[in-house]
Amino acid sequence: MTKSIPQVKIVNCETGQEIVRDATAQEIAQMDAIAANAQEAQAEAEAKATAKATLLTRLGITAEEAALLLS
Amino acid sequence: MAKQTFTTGQVLTAAQMTSLQQTAMGGGSATAKTASYVLVAADAGTSVLMNSASSTTITVNTALFAAGDTVYIQNLGAGVSTITAGTATVNTSASLALAQYEGGQLYFNSTSDAIFIKGAGAAAASGGMTLLSTTTLTGASVTLSSISQSYKQLYLVFKNYLPATSGSYLTLNINSDTGTRYYAGDVYGQGAGTYTFNRTFFYMTSGAHNTVTQMTGFATFYDYTNTTTWKMATVSTFNNDATTSTSLRQNLMTEVFNQTGAITSLTLQPSSGNFTSGTILLYGVN
Repeated sequence: MTKSIPQVKIVNCETGQEIVRDATAQEIAQMDAIAANAQEAQAEAEAKATAKATLLTRLGITAEEAALLLS
Repeated sequence: MAKQTFTTGQVLTAAQMTSLQQTAMGGGSATAKTASYVLVAADAGTSVLMNSASSTTITVNTALFAAGDTVYIQNLGAGVSTITAGTATVNTSASLALAQYEGGQLYFNSTSDAIFIKGAGAAAASGGMTLLSTTTLTGASVTLSSISQSYKQLYLVFKNYLPATSGSYLTLNINSDTGTRYYAGDVYGQGAGTYTFNRTFFYMTSGAHNTVTQMTGFATFYDYTNTTTWKMATVSTFNNDATTSTSLRQNLMTEVFNQTGAITSLTLQPSSGNFTSGTILLYGVN
Protein backbone atom coordinates (compact mmCIF):
# COMPACT_ATOMS: atom_id res chain seq x y z
CA MET A 1 0.00 0.00 0.00
CA THR A 2 1.42 3.39 -0.99
CA LYS A 3 1.58 6.02 1.75
CA SER A 4 -0.01 9.27 0.52
CA ILE A 5 2.27 12.29 0.40
CA PRO A 6 1.26 15.08 2.83
CA GLN A 7 -0.04 18.23 1.15
CA VAL A 8 1.23 21.68 2.10
CA LYS A 9 -0.58 24.96 1.44
CA ILE A 10 1.37 28.18 1.01
CA VAL A 11 -0.49 31.50 1.03
CA ASN A 12 1.23 34.66 -0.20
CA CYS A 13 -0.16 37.38 2.08
CA GLU A 14 0.88 40.16 -0.35
CA THR A 15 -0.90 38.76 -3.41
CA GLY A 16 -3.41 36.31 -1.92
CA GLN A 17 -2.06 33.56 -4.19
CA GLU A 18 -2.46 30.05 -2.76
CA ILE A 19 -0.31 27.09 -3.75
CA VAL A 20 -1.16 23.53 -2.67
CA ARG A 21 1.50 20.93 -3.44
CA ASP A 22 3.08 17.72 -2.20
CA ALA A 23 5.42 18.17 0.75
CA THR A 24 9.11 17.82 -0.09
CA ALA A 25 11.25 15.18 1.62
CA GLN A 26 12.75 17.92 3.79
CA GLU A 27 9.29 19.17 4.81
CA ILE A 28 8.16 15.64 5.64
CA ALA A 29 11.27 15.20 7.80
CA GLN A 30 10.46 18.47 9.56
CA MET A 31 6.86 17.32 10.17
CA ASP A 32 8.18 14.08 11.63
CA ALA A 33 10.58 16.03 13.87
CA ILE A 34 7.71 18.20 15.14
CA ALA A 35 5.61 15.08 15.80
CA ALA A 36 8.50 13.48 17.72
CA ASN A 37 9.08 16.64 19.76
CA ALA A 38 5.34 16.87 20.52
CA GLN A 39 5.33 13.25 21.70
CA GLU A 40 8.32 14.01 23.89
CA ALA A 41 6.47 17.01 25.37
CA GLN A 42 3.40 14.86 25.94
CA ALA A 43 5.48 12.22 27.73
CA GLU A 44 7.07 14.91 29.92
CA ALA A 45 3.64 16.31 30.83
CA GLU A 46 2.32 12.83 31.66
CA ALA A 47 5.38 12.05 33.81
CA LYS A 48 4.89 15.34 35.65
CA ALA A 49 1.21 14.54 36.24
CA THR A 50 2.09 11.06 37.53
CA ALA A 51 4.75 12.47 39.89
CA LYS A 52 2.23 15.03 41.16
CA ALA A 53 -0.40 12.32 41.79
CA THR A 54 2.16 10.15 43.61
CA LEU A 55 3.17 13.05 45.85
CA LEU A 56 -0.46 13.89 46.67
CA THR A 57 -1.10 10.27 47.62
CA ARG A 58 1.98 10.26 49.85
CA LEU A 59 0.83 13.49 51.52
CA GLY A 60 -2.70 12.20 51.83
CA ILE A 61 -4.32 15.31 50.33
CA THR A 62 -6.29 16.03 47.19
CA ALA A 63 -5.24 18.31 44.31
CA GLU A 64 -7.88 20.85 45.42
CA GLU A 65 -6.45 20.84 48.96
CA ALA A 66 -2.94 21.29 47.58
CA ALA A 67 -4.16 24.22 45.46
CA LEU A 68 -5.79 25.72 48.56
CA LEU A 69 -2.50 25.51 50.42
CA LEU A 70 -0.73 27.41 47.65
CA SER A 71 -3.41 30.08 47.15
CA MET B 1 -13.47 59.66 -18.50
CA ALA B 2 -10.31 58.01 -19.77
CA LYS B 3 -7.60 60.29 -21.15
CA GLN B 4 -8.52 61.56 -24.63
CA THR B 5 -6.60 63.04 -27.53
CA PHE B 6 -8.64 65.98 -28.75
CA THR B 7 -8.42 67.47 -32.21
CA THR B 8 -8.80 71.06 -33.37
CA GLY B 9 -12.42 72.00 -33.92
CA GLN B 10 -13.79 68.95 -32.19
CA VAL B 11 -17.23 69.50 -30.65
CA LEU B 12 -17.70 67.88 -27.25
CA THR B 13 -21.05 66.47 -26.27
CA ALA B 14 -22.78 67.34 -23.01
CA ALA B 15 -22.12 63.79 -21.74
CA GLN B 16 -18.40 64.14 -22.49
CA MET B 17 -18.26 67.51 -20.69
CA THR B 18 -20.08 66.05 -17.68
CA SER B 19 -17.66 63.16 -17.57
CA LEU B 20 -14.65 65.48 -17.88
CA GLN B 21 -16.01 67.64 -15.08
CA GLN B 22 -16.49 64.58 -12.89
CA THR B 23 -12.91 63.46 -13.52
CA ALA B 24 -11.57 66.97 -12.85
CA MET B 25 -13.34 66.94 -9.49
CA GLY B 26 -11.46 63.81 -8.50
CA GLY B 27 -14.32 61.43 -9.16
CA GLY B 28 -15.23 59.64 -12.33
CA SER B 29 -17.24 56.56 -13.06
CA ALA B 30 -15.69 53.34 -11.89
CA THR B 31 -16.66 49.84 -12.85
CA ALA B 32 -15.95 47.57 -9.90
CA LYS B 33 -13.35 44.86 -10.46
CA THR B 34 -14.21 41.70 -8.56
CA ALA B 35 -10.91 39.91 -9.23
CA SER B 36 -7.24 40.82 -9.62
CA TYR B 37 -6.75 43.35 -12.41
CA VAL B 38 -3.98 44.44 -14.76
CA LEU B 39 -4.13 48.16 -15.58
CA VAL B 40 -4.66 49.08 -19.24
CA ALA B 41 -3.92 52.31 -21.11
CA ALA B 42 -7.59 53.34 -21.02
CA ASP B 43 -7.41 53.53 -17.22
CA ALA B 44 -5.35 56.73 -17.41
CA GLY B 45 -7.30 59.52 -15.74
CA THR B 46 -9.96 57.19 -14.34
CA SER B 47 -10.81 55.55 -11.05
CA VAL B 48 -10.33 51.80 -10.67
CA LEU B 49 -12.63 50.40 -8.02
CA MET B 50 -11.79 47.02 -6.45
CA ASN B 51 -14.56 45.08 -4.75
CA SER B 52 -13.72 41.53 -3.67
CA ALA B 53 -14.05 39.60 -0.43
CA SER B 54 -10.73 37.89 -1.23
CA SER B 55 -7.29 39.42 -1.61
CA THR B 56 -6.62 40.91 -5.05
CA THR B 57 -3.78 42.60 -6.91
CA ILE B 58 -3.62 45.54 -9.31
CA THR B 59 -0.68 45.01 -11.62
CA VAL B 60 1.20 47.94 -13.17
CA ASN B 61 3.08 47.38 -16.42
CA THR B 62 5.30 49.57 -18.57
CA ALA B 63 4.59 51.33 -21.89
CA LEU B 64 0.91 51.95 -21.16
CA PHE B 65 0.96 55.34 -19.47
CA ALA B 66 2.73 58.62 -20.19
CA ALA B 67 4.59 60.82 -17.72
CA GLY B 68 1.99 62.83 -15.78
CA ASP B 69 -0.81 60.29 -16.16
CA THR B 70 -2.70 59.33 -13.04
CA VAL B 71 -4.98 56.45 -12.03
CA TYR B 72 -7.02 56.61 -8.84
CA ILE B 73 -7.42 53.24 -7.11
CA GLN B 74 -9.86 52.53 -4.35
CA ASN B 75 -10.83 49.38 -2.51
CA LEU B 76 -14.42 48.86 -1.47
CA GLY B 77 -14.14 45.13 -0.73
CA ALA B 78 -13.16 43.30 2.45
CA GLY B 79 -10.20 41.63 0.71
CA VAL B 80 -6.90 43.53 0.69
CA SER B 81 -6.02 44.96 -2.75
CA THR B 82 -2.30 45.23 -3.33
CA ILE B 83 -0.73 47.37 -6.04
CA THR B 84 1.91 45.19 -7.61
CA ALA B 85 4.77 46.19 -9.86
CA GLY B 86 4.50 44.08 -12.99
CA THR B 87 7.04 45.26 -15.53
CA ALA B 88 6.86 48.83 -14.20
CA THR B 89 8.39 50.18 -11.01
CA VAL B 90 6.07 51.39 -8.25
CA ASN B 91 7.39 53.30 -5.24
CA THR B 92 5.55 54.59 -2.21
CA SER B 93 6.24 56.03 1.23
CA ALA B 94 3.24 54.11 2.55
CA SER B 95 2.00 50.59 1.96
CA LEU B 96 0.95 49.31 -1.45
CA ALA B 97 -1.73 47.23 0.28
CA LEU B 98 -5.18 48.82 0.39
CA ALA B 99 -7.49 47.61 3.12
CA GLN B 100 -11.23 48.06 2.77
CA TYR B 101 -12.22 51.69 2.07
CA GLU B 102 -8.63 52.76 1.47
CA GLY B 103 -7.52 54.39 -1.76
CA GLY B 104 -4.84 56.44 -3.40
CA GLN B 105 -3.41 57.90 -6.57
CA LEU B 106 -0.94 56.23 -8.88
CA TYR B 107 1.14 58.95 -10.55
CA PHE B 108 3.42 58.09 -13.46
CA ASN B 109 6.82 59.80 -13.57
CA SER B 110 7.53 58.04 -16.84
CA THR B 111 6.16 55.18 -18.89
CA SER B 112 7.90 52.71 -16.63
CA ASP B 113 7.97 54.37 -13.24
CA ALA B 114 5.11 55.30 -10.93
CA ILE B 115 4.63 56.47 -7.37
CA PHE B 116 1.63 55.57 -5.25
CA ILE B 117 0.27 58.28 -2.97
CA LYS B 118 -2.00 56.73 -0.39
CA GLY B 119 -4.89 59.04 0.30
CA ALA B 120 -8.04 59.41 2.31
CA GLY B 121 -9.15 56.33 4.13
CA ALA B 122 -5.62 55.15 4.80
CA ALA B 123 -5.12 53.36 8.09
CA ALA B 124 -4.64 55.84 10.89
CA ALA B 125 -1.04 56.19 11.99
CA SER B 126 -2.14 56.06 15.60
CA GLY B 127 -3.63 52.57 15.39
CA GLY B 128 -5.72 50.09 13.52
CA MET B 129 -5.83 46.53 12.31
CA THR B 130 -5.57 45.40 8.70
CA LEU B 131 -6.71 41.94 7.65
CA LEU B 132 -3.79 40.41 5.72
CA SER B 133 -5.13 36.92 5.12
CA THR B 134 -8.10 34.62 5.77
CA THR B 135 -7.02 31.02 5.25
CA THR B 136 -8.69 27.63 5.54
CA LEU B 137 -6.64 24.95 7.28
CA THR B 138 -6.17 22.02 4.90
CA GLY B 139 -3.58 19.35 4.20
CA ALA B 140 -0.66 18.68 6.52
CA SER B 141 0.54 22.28 6.90
CA VAL B 142 -0.41 25.84 6.02
CA THR B 143 2.18 28.58 5.56
CA LEU B 144 1.40 32.30 5.51
CA SER B 145 4.28 33.75 3.50
CA SER B 146 5.39 37.22 2.34
CA ILE B 147 4.00 38.81 5.49
CA SER B 148 4.06 42.60 5.19
CA GLN B 149 6.70 44.35 7.31
CA SER B 150 4.58 47.51 7.59
CA TYR B 151 3.00 46.89 10.99
CA LYS B 152 4.02 46.89 14.64
CA GLN B 153 2.46 43.55 15.63
CA LEU B 154 0.87 40.50 14.08
CA TYR B 155 -2.41 39.22 15.46
CA LEU B 156 -3.43 35.69 14.50
CA VAL B 157 -7.00 34.52 15.14
CA PHE B 158 -7.94 30.82 15.25
CA LYS B 159 -11.37 29.38 14.61
CA ASN B 160 -12.45 25.76 14.95
CA TYR B 161 -9.12 23.98 14.49
CA LEU B 162 -9.95 20.30 13.95
CA PRO B 163 -7.14 17.78 13.48
CA ALA B 164 -7.63 14.44 11.74
CA THR B 165 -5.69 12.74 14.54
CA SER B 166 -7.20 13.01 18.00
CA GLY B 167 -4.94 14.66 20.56
CA SER B 168 -2.90 16.62 18.02
CA TYR B 169 -1.65 20.02 19.12
CA LEU B 170 -1.82 22.92 16.71
CA THR B 171 1.83 23.92 16.27
CA LEU B 172 3.42 27.01 14.74
CA ASN B 173 6.86 27.61 13.25
CA ILE B 174 8.44 30.94 12.40
CA ASN B 175 10.22 31.45 9.06
CA SER B 176 10.05 27.66 8.37
CA ASP B 177 12.57 27.12 11.18
CA THR B 178 12.02 23.72 12.82
CA GLY B 179 15.20 23.70 14.88
CA THR B 180 15.17 23.27 18.66
CA ARG B 181 14.88 27.02 19.12
CA TYR B 182 11.50 27.42 20.79
CA TYR B 183 10.52 27.69 24.44
CA ALA B 184 7.02 27.64 25.90
CA GLY B 185 6.25 28.91 29.39
CA ASP B 186 2.91 29.40 31.08
CA VAL B 187 1.66 32.95 31.27
CA TYR B 188 2.58 33.29 34.95
CA GLY B 189 6.21 32.59 34.17
CA GLN B 190 8.49 29.90 35.51
CA GLY B 191 10.24 32.05 38.08
CA ALA B 192 13.97 32.54 38.35
CA GLY B 193 15.95 29.71 36.93
CA THR B 194 17.78 28.49 33.91
CA TYR B 195 15.68 27.25 31.07
CA THR B 196 16.55 25.90 27.69
CA PHE B 197 15.05 26.20 24.26
CA ASN B 198 13.74 22.65 24.12
CA ARG B 199 10.94 22.69 21.55
CA THR B 200 10.87 22.69 17.78
CA PHE B 201 7.60 24.69 17.60
CA PHE B 202 5.21 27.02 19.43
CA TYR B 203 2.08 25.51 20.96
CA MET B 204 -1.09 27.13 19.69
CA THR B 205 -3.47 24.65 21.36
CA SER B 206 -3.48 21.66 23.67
CA GLY B 207 -4.37 18.21 22.32
CA ALA B 208 -7.64 18.61 20.44
CA HIS B 209 -10.66 16.42 19.70
CA ASN B 210 -10.82 15.15 16.13
CA THR B 211 -14.58 15.23 15.47
CA VAL B 212 -15.98 18.06 17.57
CA THR B 213 -14.68 21.62 17.62
CA GLN B 214 -15.70 24.96 18.98
CA MET B 215 -12.03 25.92 19.25
CA THR B 216 -11.27 29.64 19.55
CA GLY B 217 -8.32 31.85 20.42
CA PHE B 218 -5.58 34.18 19.27
CA ALA B 219 -1.84 34.77 19.28
CA THR B 220 0.03 38.06 19.24
CA PHE B 221 3.56 38.47 17.89
CA TYR B 222 5.25 41.61 19.20
CA ASP B 223 7.64 43.84 17.27
CA TYR B 224 7.93 41.14 14.64
CA THR B 225 9.98 43.19 12.16
CA ASN B 226 12.93 43.98 14.41
CA THR B 227 16.17 42.16 13.69
CA THR B 228 17.89 42.39 17.08
CA THR B 229 15.72 40.53 19.60
CA TRP B 230 14.25 37.07 20.09
CA LYS B 231 10.70 36.78 18.78
CA MET B 232 7.98 36.38 21.36
CA ALA B 233 4.30 35.47 21.22
CA THR B 234 1.50 35.34 23.72
CA VAL B 235 -1.09 32.69 22.98
CA SER B 236 -4.55 32.25 24.46
CA THR B 237 -6.74 29.47 23.07
CA PHE B 238 -9.46 27.07 24.19
CA ASN B 239 -10.21 23.78 22.47
CA ASN B 240 -12.31 20.67 22.98
CA ASP B 241 -10.54 17.98 24.98
CA ALA B 242 -9.22 15.11 22.87
CA THR B 243 -10.99 12.45 24.95
CA THR B 244 -14.12 14.17 26.22
CA SER B 245 -15.27 16.74 23.67
CA THR B 246 -17.59 18.45 26.14
CA SER B 247 -14.60 19.25 28.35
CA LEU B 248 -12.20 22.01 27.46
CA ARG B 249 -8.47 22.51 27.30
CA GLN B 250 -6.88 25.88 27.90
CA ASN B 251 -3.59 27.01 26.42
CA LEU B 252 -2.33 30.25 27.94
CA MET B 253 1.32 30.59 27.07
CA THR B 254 4.15 33.01 26.62
CA GLU B 255 6.50 31.57 24.05
CA VAL B 256 9.82 32.66 22.67
CA PHE B 257 11.89 31.79 19.60
CA ASN B 258 15.63 32.41 19.93
CA GLN B 259 16.28 33.87 16.48
CA THR B 260 16.46 37.60 15.70
CA GLY B 261 15.37 37.80 12.06
CA ALA B 262 12.12 39.56 11.21
CA ILE B 263 9.10 37.29 10.95
CA THR B 264 8.21 36.88 7.28
CA SER B 265 6.29 33.61 7.40
CA LEU B 266 4.26 31.50 9.83
CA THR B 267 3.64 27.79 9.35
CA LEU B 268 0.85 25.97 11.16
CA GLN B 269 0.42 22.23 11.33
CA PRO B 270 -1.06 19.57 13.60
CA SER B 271 1.56 17.80 15.71
CA SER B 272 0.43 14.64 13.94
CA GLY B 273 -1.54 13.98 10.75
CA ASN B 274 -3.60 16.40 8.68
CA PHE B 275 -6.00 19.24 9.28
CA THR B 276 -9.64 18.32 8.91
CA SER B 277 -10.81 21.93 9.05
CA GLY B 278 -10.34 25.32 10.65
CA THR B 279 -9.76 28.95 9.73
CA ILE B 280 -7.02 31.42 10.57
CA LEU B 281 -7.10 35.18 10.11
CA LEU B 282 -3.87 37.21 10.13
CA TYR B 283 -4.01 40.91 10.97
CA GLY B 284 -1.31 43.57 10.88
CA VAL B 285 -1.65 45.90 13.87
CA ASN B 286 -0.44 49.49 14.20
